[in-house]
Amino acid sequence: MARATKEGERWKPPRGRHKLPPEVVSRSQRERLLEATMRVVAEKGYGATTVTDLTRKAGISRTTFYELFEDKEACFLAAYDNAVDGLVRQINVAYEAEERWPDRARAGLATLLAALAADPELARLALVDVAAAGPAAQRRFRAAVQRLTPFFDEGRDFAPGGRGVPANASRMAAGAVVGLISDELVEGRADELPSLLSDLLFATLVPYLGPDAAAREVGEVTR
Amino acid sequence: MMNVPGSSASLESGPMAPTETRRQPILAAMIRVVGAKGYKETSVADVIAEVPTSRTTFYKHFDDKHDCFLAAYEMLVEEVFGEVVAQCDGEAPWMSRMTDGLSTIVDRFALDPALARTAVVEVAAAGADARQLHWNAIARFTEYLDAGRELTPGKELPENISLMSAGAVSGLIFDELLAGRADKLPERLPDLLFAMLVPYVGPQVAAAEMRRVAASAH
Repeated sequence: MARATKEGERWKPPRGRHKLPPEVVSRSQRERLLEATMRVVAEKGYGATTVTDLTRKAGISRTTFYELFEDKEACFLAAYDNAVDGLVRQINVAYEAEERWPDRARAGLATLLAALAADPELARLALVDVAAAGPAAQRRFRAAVQRLTPFFDEGRDFAPGGRGVPANASRMAAGAVVGLISDELVEGRADELPSLLSDLLFATLVPYLGPDAAAREVGEVTR
Repeated sequence: MMNVPGSSASLESGPMAPTETRRQPILAAMIRVVGAKGYKETSVADVIAEVPTSRTTFYKHFDDKHDCFLAAYEMLVEEVFGEVVAQCDGEAPWMSRMTDGLSTIVDRFALDPALARTAVVEVAAAGADARQLHWNAIARFTEYLDAGRELTPGKELPENISLMSAGAVSGLIFDELLAGRADKLPERLPDLLFAMLVPYVGPQVAAAEMRRVAASAH
């Protein structure tokens, strides 16, 4: 998940006459706006957030805002997808660095938990409060969960009887993982998220390996 | 059940009766309207038009839309879980009781898509109190699920596998409802069963139960 820096620290295109091509200026404005949007909505809630809040935080004009997005919702959906992209990219790097599927899963989950714990406000928005931003946002949230399923699907090839496991077991396992994390966030325990690792690893492995082997893999990690 | 002479008559004519009889239809209307329009888009005006009743009557019973929604949600949970708990409580083996409990929920949701949407999807948009009620409802089901631990005595299963199990199931149900496919939920029962059982019994046994239920449905 993208981390916002304090206002003023961020690079902005120089004001006045400069030689930057317009598409570079516009890309930087767009990125700034997307990060500002996640930040403001996380603080104020989606309903209370206005376009003015967003333009003020991003340091762009209203005209620029409406050149980039049709309305608040379109902007929020793009910001949400952008944050999810960042998160999935981080998970992927950690996942690919390991060999065996259970180790890959553990590395990916640890990265996910660390990223969410580092920014509880954004974590809550991404997983819990997104539901309050309307049906389109809810569909984006489910799509985000869906994007995690390839990490789980590899269990079908790894496990001895994996081929007999229903195809959408990955969707269920991803749901279980996200559910456990959301529960922790709802309770306001974002800082304790990393301690969920062994439970989440169990939830990931169990549809493919069964409870015995899953518990063994988890035990090797915690010892 | 004990039969107290004259009890029902005195209830109907007692001072509580008019209040209760006017309150219940408002709660039912709230569930229907929220299921159809979404929580955010629902107004008190929509609800009283659905009953129909007056604004005065509405505000005699509830502080506002949110207050009414919470009461409606509690009623919904009691109604659905009354049926589910009856399945979960029986003498049959654990696996078949859980299967019956889950299939009761799925059938109920398929029969009443608006209720299902309110119960699973819209509740998330209705604030922290409402989400808490949703979690409490799931926790009631997970208590029964956790009896499945006895099938693997001596195993060190994680403490909250019941939450994993319920999380996987409700995620799948959420997806179907969001896509407007409440009527297709019974077809997903085998998948849902696999997700629910696998943390306790492993993929082979869960897949066998899944096939058994799929076969008996055809």
